[in-house]
Order: sequence, then structure tokens, then C-alpha cells
Amino acid sequence: MSFFGFNTTLPRDRAPPIESRGIFDTPDPFAEVARARAEGFQGGDDDDVIDFEDTYDGLGDQLDDDQDAFNDDTFGGGVDPSPVGKDFDFFGRTAQVADVIGEEQIRYSLQQPGAPAASATATQPAADAALPGAAAQKPKRTGYEKYQDPGYIPDLQAKSSVWGMSKKPEPQPQPQPHLQLQQQLQQQLTPQMVSQAKKMLSLEEVEAQLRRQGPGSIPTQLPLPLPHSMPELAQPLQRAQMPPLPEGFAQLPPEIIQAQLAKGVPPAQLLHQPPMVPEPYPLPAHAPNLPMHLLQNANLPPQHMMSPQRQAMPPAAQRPQQQQPPPPQAPRGSATQLPVITNSQQLMHLTEEQRVAYLMEDAKRAKRNHKIFLLSKGNGLMTPQDKNFITRIQLQQLVAAAGNVADSDSEAVLAEDFYYQVYSQIRGAPRQHPHQPLGHFAQTYLLQTGNRLGGHGSRRQFQSADNHMQRMQQQVQRAVEAAKQKPKNKQLIIEGSLGKISFSNAKTPKPMLNIKRPESSEGAKTMKKPHTDLSVSDRKSVLTNLESVYNTLMEMEDMERTMPPPPDENDPEAIQKHMEWRQKIRSLNQKLWRELKVMEPIVPNTNTPHPFIAFLSYPKGKKAIPRIFRHIDQEQRVTILTMIVVHLDSLDVVRRAQPVPGETQPSLAVREAIDLFSQAVMPSLLGYVNEAPFNIIIGLLGLVIAQTQVHMISKTRIGLGILTMLLSRAEIVKEAGQATERDWQQWVEKFNVLFDTLEPTFADIFPSSINAGDDMYVWQFLAAVGIGASPEQQQRLVIAVKDRVMETVTYSKTLPADMASQRLGNVNLFMRAIGLDVELLG
Amino acid sequence: MLFFSFFKTLTNQTVTIELKNDIRIRGTLKSVDQYLNIKLDDVDVLDLDKYPHLSSVKNMFIRGSVVRYVMLPRSEVDIGLLEDATRREAANQAGKAR
Repeated sequence: MSFFGFNTTLPRDRAPPIESRGIFDTPDPFAEVARARAEGFQGGDDDDVIDFEDTYDGLGDQLDDDQDAFNDDTFGGGVDPSPVGKDFDFFGRTAQVADVIGEEQIRYSLQQPGAPAASATATQPAADAALPGAAAQKPKRTGYEKYQDPGYIPDLQAKSSVWGMSKKPEPQPQPQPHLQLQQQLQQQLTPQMVSQAKKMLSLEEVEAQLRRQGPGSIPTQLPLPLPHSMPELAQPLQRAQMPPLPEGFAQLPPEIIQAQLAKGVPPAQLLHQPPMVPEPYPLPAHAPNLPMHLLQNANLPPQHMMSPQRQAMPPAAQRPQQQQPPPPQAPRGSATQLPVITNSQQLMHLTEEQRVAYLMEDAKRAKRNHKIFLLSKGNGLMTPQDKNFITRIQLQQLVAAAGNVADSDSEAVLAEDFYYQVYSQIRGAPRQHPHQPLGHFAQTYLLQTGNRLGGHGSRRQFQSADNHMQRMQQQVQRAVEAAKQKPKNKQLIIEGSLGKISFSNAKTPKPMLNIKRPESSEGAKTMKKPHTDLSVSDRKSVLTNLESVYNTLMEMEDMERTMPPPPDENDPEAIQKHMEWRQKIRSLNQKLWRELKVMEPIVPNTNTPHPFIAFLSYPKGKKAIPRIFRHIDQEQRVTILTMIVVHLDSLDVVRRAQPVPGETQPSLAVREAIDLFSQAVMPSLLGYVNEAPFNIIIGLLGLVIAQTQVHMISKTRIGLGILTMLLSRAEIVKEAGQATERDWQQWVEKFNVLFDTLEPTFADIFPSSINAGDDMYVWQFLAAVGIGASPEQQQRLVIAVKDRVMETVTYSKTLPADMASQRLGNVNLFMRAIGLDVELLG
Repeated sequence: MLFFSFFKTLTNQTVTIELKNDIRIRGTLKSVDQYLNIKLDDVDVLDLDKYPHLSSVKNMFIRGSVVRYVMLPRSEVDIGLLEDATRREAANQAGKAR
């Protein structure tokens, strides 16, 4: 099936190989003729007549005329049912199977290892093949070549010329008959081509020729219209500038055309030149042999001598006028013979489409190999140590570049991530790695490197790996230190502008426009205003106090965390540090104490509550008490306790908790406040009272009796709680035998006053309704009173609360068992204190 | 960073997220980032009748900017600590602004 004119004979079908066959073994039909002739010569047969038997490849014998099963495949008849008319698109049909042709060609060349090498060398410019940029000249086969050149003539001359130039002299005898054929064929059409091919000149020869002609002779050509000197050179140009004719791309390196177009050379100008079919112009002998760039240079005005770049690329203004072809050697420096070869190659392309296809493959392969070669040049240049060194440098830069380095220390972590850090400590959920991303990253990275290096066996490498690990770690540490030292430039303040531009990082994702606060003028005034305010108990100033108390508390807690270890006596520096720390704590303590405003003078008979009592009226204030108590000394504690006791009836939890007629219990807000107070403040007070000396208890009781309205206090839970606290402490002191006789006498005195004051209202201290809920605190108080009371007082007490006891016992019988036992237990608390039991009541 | 810090402690807790388009989604908080983007697992969409297209969604990633509310389990919030953290944050901001 040699339909497309190339030889598809399989090796097994082929005639026995002839010695020289590989060189010109092409699918070209003329090659067969040439070979036949050559064989004829070799065989010593002088007869020029071509013997049919010599050239016939026997393919016709293989044909089966009856078998037209694949005709449709070949001609596409099955697809297109319309009859073939006069306008049958031969080329279009062929182009449809162009791919198959290409594949076929490749397959063919693969089957014949000798052929591709020969054809490659023949068609590929020898100089190009050696050059790295050879792959750049990738012929772009479109399939239109045959349409483009009506004077389509297979030019075998080019191949022989290449061979003539090549270093291999072996095939030289062979071309001789071949050349004759060529000459015969070509003389009719393009004699100058033949002559050019025949007289292949080297660069030196061309230069010598130019020199011989002298400087004057070439410039004389300048006014001449170009076609005279460059008929066939203009042709490729004309094609090159016409985008719809992609063949030109095959001849000129594509980058040149692109460069031309990019430079804005209008293709239309270049198109002005009439299409030139090579004509037998009487050319000067040297002209066809001149490499393009030489011609071009010769045609350039003298200014071309100025720079080699100019030489390579003529000024854009001149080029269109001159209709100069773009210098094909521009991308490569040294391809002086390129134009000639390109020229012949052009013909090669035209004649042997299949070779082009093969060449494309070959060029691709060459390109890939070249790439690999280029890449592999650096192989083994760096030792692993070198790589590590580079890695360290990169790591350092990374560390230095990251702005949030300081976050890696615990203080900053706590500042940025306080809630999470403390919460996980409290709740014991260190679920996420607390390290900052950077530290984490660095660690992971170091670990990886260690593994990678550790994988090698030898001991030396092990050591060096370790060494690198250490050095890398040190490097990172140093880098982190350095970055810490470096002032952080997180904001940019443009002079005279109102705001700052913050640079965002992962920690502060949204850059804010921070308004710079004028510290001197406005801000200070507004800050001072609350202090100059007359009232220190209005809501706003109390809340401000509260916040400053909290801030101080947090500062103190921070200080506590950074407490230096107990100093060694021999280490003056440590002692010094410790002293400084204590000094700071002390000053903070003073600050806290001032902010608490406990020592504000007590103004009797005013509606404005004392600042500290106002402080306690806010939930935040109540919650602060336990924390405050941890940071103040005993004296300050007793002062606070005294303050509370003195103002007991003006405490919000007492004042607002007064039973209102018609209401069974205080409002929800008050109840919450009471709960909070008894949860937050009472334990702190109790903690102090349990250790307080007896005289202080006596003094406090005296204050309650003297300064407050005991009736009012006794009707509230908090009031009773504080009284219970004092009474039970006195009892404990008495039991422990720590009380002196005089103190005890004093106490009994006060107690009697209290008892006498309260006796008429004992029945009223209970919550108004029996089913109002928890009355345990009342029974506790009664128990505390009962224990400290004399037998006579106990009797009076029993009489006072007898009704309530009976009521509760009766009521508890209607309750479920557990609640009943709870209520009875509460009553029993009191009953046992006076030596009785609810059981006795039956 | 307060909210980020705060939400980090709520991972693996069940939260209900209300988006700005009124869709409410209950699910297990898997993770949160500094943009308060949220990853939810075992997702339940409240008012599923209204949003049937979400019935097959089992987990989701919610861009932080589309969240209107996050409803938290009260027991998992340490209010006192949160107050302190807020104070610290405020102090930090004030320090930065100055």
C-alpha cells in the first residue's frame, strides 16, 4: 500500500539490503530511481536505461485487486456517501489521515534503525544538531506544504551537500551518480540552487570572497532592488510573515517571527513583496552562497558597525523599507552556515513530509535529552552538609522574617491566648499543642531533618547529622533571640496622619486602624475627671474602681507567677531580686488597698453608701473578695471585716433582703445577690474569723450591737450568717479554753445585750412562711445562740421559737421522707444545741 | 485573639450556630481558626423543614464572617476567667493603641 508515495515495505518484504543503501534510503520515489541508477553504475552496467526489474519493489504482486475491503478506510468513501465529483478535495482527504502518515513514518523508521539516523543527519543541519538550541527549531508541519510550492521538486541535492560537508567521507563516492540526476532535474528550474549546493562555501571562504570583492563592491548593491540578490531568501520571509501560511514557521525559528511581530513590524508591509518563485536570475556567483546575515550586513548602512546587536537586529524603521528578512541567526550566536542549510532544509521539508514528522520526534527527544543534560549538570555539586548549611540559612531567614517571634515565650502566649491557656490548665485539657506555629514548625522541621540524615548508616554521618541538628537548633535559638531583641515593627505611622497602618500577621488577622491617642493634652484630662468628682460612690466611679481593682489583682497574680525562688543567703543577686520583687508586690498591694477605698472616712447618717460597701453591692465586687483576701495581710482583712460589720445594715444583701409584707421571699435578683455573697464573700470572712483573736470577735459583736440595727440584720440571711459566724467562733474559743476570764466576761456582756435585743423578734427571724424554703441558716443561728446562752436564756429561747419548731415538725410530716428528714435535721441542729431532740417532741 | 482563644476551649462541645441567613446549625465544634471559621461535625440543622437541601449535610466548614451567633454550653464557660481574659485583652488593645 504505497499510496502516499513512501516506502512502506516491511523489512522482510524488502529486497536484500545493498551496502550503501542506508544513506539515501528514503521513502522518496525518486530515491528508488536514483538507487536503481546507482546500482546500475555499481553493477558496471553503463546503460542508462532504467531496468524495470531493478526498480520494481514487487509491491504490485502483493496487491489483491479483489480485496477492496479497506478502500473505505483509505479513501473515506464509507463516511461520505456523496459521489466523488470534480471538486474532490484530495488534499483535505489526505490531511485527514496525516496523523496516520506520521505514525506510519515513525513506525517505519523504528523498524529500520539505520534509516532514521541517515535521514536525521541528512535533514537536520549538522551544525544545529550539535547546538543546544537545535530543539528550538522545531519544524511545524501543517500538511499544507505541498500546496504552497507549486514548483515542488524533491531536492536530493541538499542531502548530498550536507554529506559533502560532514566529517564522514564514507558516503562520498555514492552521491556522484545521484548528483547527476539532481542536476538534470534541477537545471530546468533552479539552476542557482544547484550551483549553490554544488559550491558549498565555508564561512572563511565566504569572507574571503567578500574581502576580495572589496568594500566598495557590495555597497553598490544597495540601491538595487532586493529580489536581484535574494530571490529565494525573500520567499521564506514572505511566508513567514503571513500567519495563514504556517509553513514559514517551519523554516524560520519561531521565536524570530514572534520577535518580529512583537516589535510591531506590520506584516502587511512585509507582504508587499510579490510572491517569488525562484527564478533563474543571473546572479553574481557569490550571492546564493552568502549566508543571510552577511548579505544583510552588507545591505545595511554603515551604522551597523556600531554594535553587534544592531548588526543582528536592524533598526525597525529601516527594516520594512529594506524588506529584509529577519536575521535567522539572532537567537544563536555561531550558526554561520545556518542560512544555507535552512534553505535546503526548506526544500527538504517540502519534499519529505514524513521526515519532518520524524524530525519532530527526533527534535523532541533531543530537546528532552538536552534538558536532562542541562539539569544534570549540577548533580552532585552539593554535599549533604552543604545542603544542611543552606537549610540553616533559610531557616534563619524564616525565623527572622516571621514577625511574631516574641509570641513564642510564655508571657506573650499568655497575653494572646490567655483564656485558652488558663482554661486548659484548670480543666486539664492540653488537647492542642500549646506551642506557637513557628516553634512547632521549627521543631517539626528539625525532627524531619534528623530523621533524614539519621537514615544513613555510617557512624560518621550519624555524628555529623547530630552535629547539624544541634547547630541548627542553636541557630534557631539564636535567631529567635535576635528577633526578640529587634524592636517589633508592627505598625507604620505616617507622619501627620491620624491613624496607624498595622501590618497583619496570623495573630492579628484584621488590621485595624488605630487612632493614635494624644497622651499629653486631651486624654489626661478625661482620665482625671472621675477622680475630681465629688462622689466616690456613684455607679460609674464605683465600676471604674472595680476595674482598676481587678487590673491590680491580675498584676499581682502575674507577679506571683514570676516570684523568684526563695533566695539563697550566699547569693546576693538572688536576694536582690527577691527584694525587688517583694517591693513590687508591696507597692501593688498598696495600690490595691487604695483602690478598694476601704479606708475612706465613714460618714454617718448619709444616703450615700461607703465606697467599699458600694463596691460590694456589685456582683463583680463580691466575686473579687476571695481574690483580694489572698493578696492582703491579716490587718487588711480585719479592716475589711470590720468595714462590712459596721455597715452590715447598709449592705445591699441585707438592706434589700428585708422581708416585704405580702412577699414570701425577696426578688430573684436579690436572692442571686445573696447567694453570690454567701458563696463568694462569706467563706473569706469565715476563713478570717476562724483564725481571728477573741478580742476582735468581741469588738465586732460590739460594733454590730452599737452601730447597726440588729433587728433588721437578724431578719436576713447574710446578717444572721455573720452573727452566727461570730457566735460560733466565740464558742469555739471558749471550748478551746483560749479565752481569758476578762475577755469572756466582756463577751457574755455583749451576748446578753444581743440576746435581749433579739428576744422579742426571735419568731420573726424566720422566713415568713414555713414552706418558703431553706430556713437552715436560722436554725444554725439559733443553735449558735443556744450554745452560748445560759440555761435561763435557753429556756426563753425555746419559748420564743417553740411555735416554729412545732410547726416545722408537723409540716415535715406532710413532706416526702428525705425532705422531712432534712427539715427535722435543721430543727434538731438547734434542739441539740440546747440539749433537746425533735424525737422528744414525738 | 480572645475569641479564638475562647472558642478553642469549646472544641468537641456541642454548639448551635446561627448564620446571618437565619439558618441554625447544631453540631460538634471540631475546630476554629483565627478568622473564627468553624468546622462542625455531626451536624443537625434546626428548622430542617425550611432548609431541606441541608438534610444530607453531615459536617461543614463555616466561614467566620457569616456567623451571627454561637450558642454555647453554659457549663463549659468559665465566666470569671473569661472576664479576666477580657480585661487582659482590653489592656492589650489599649497598650497597642498607645
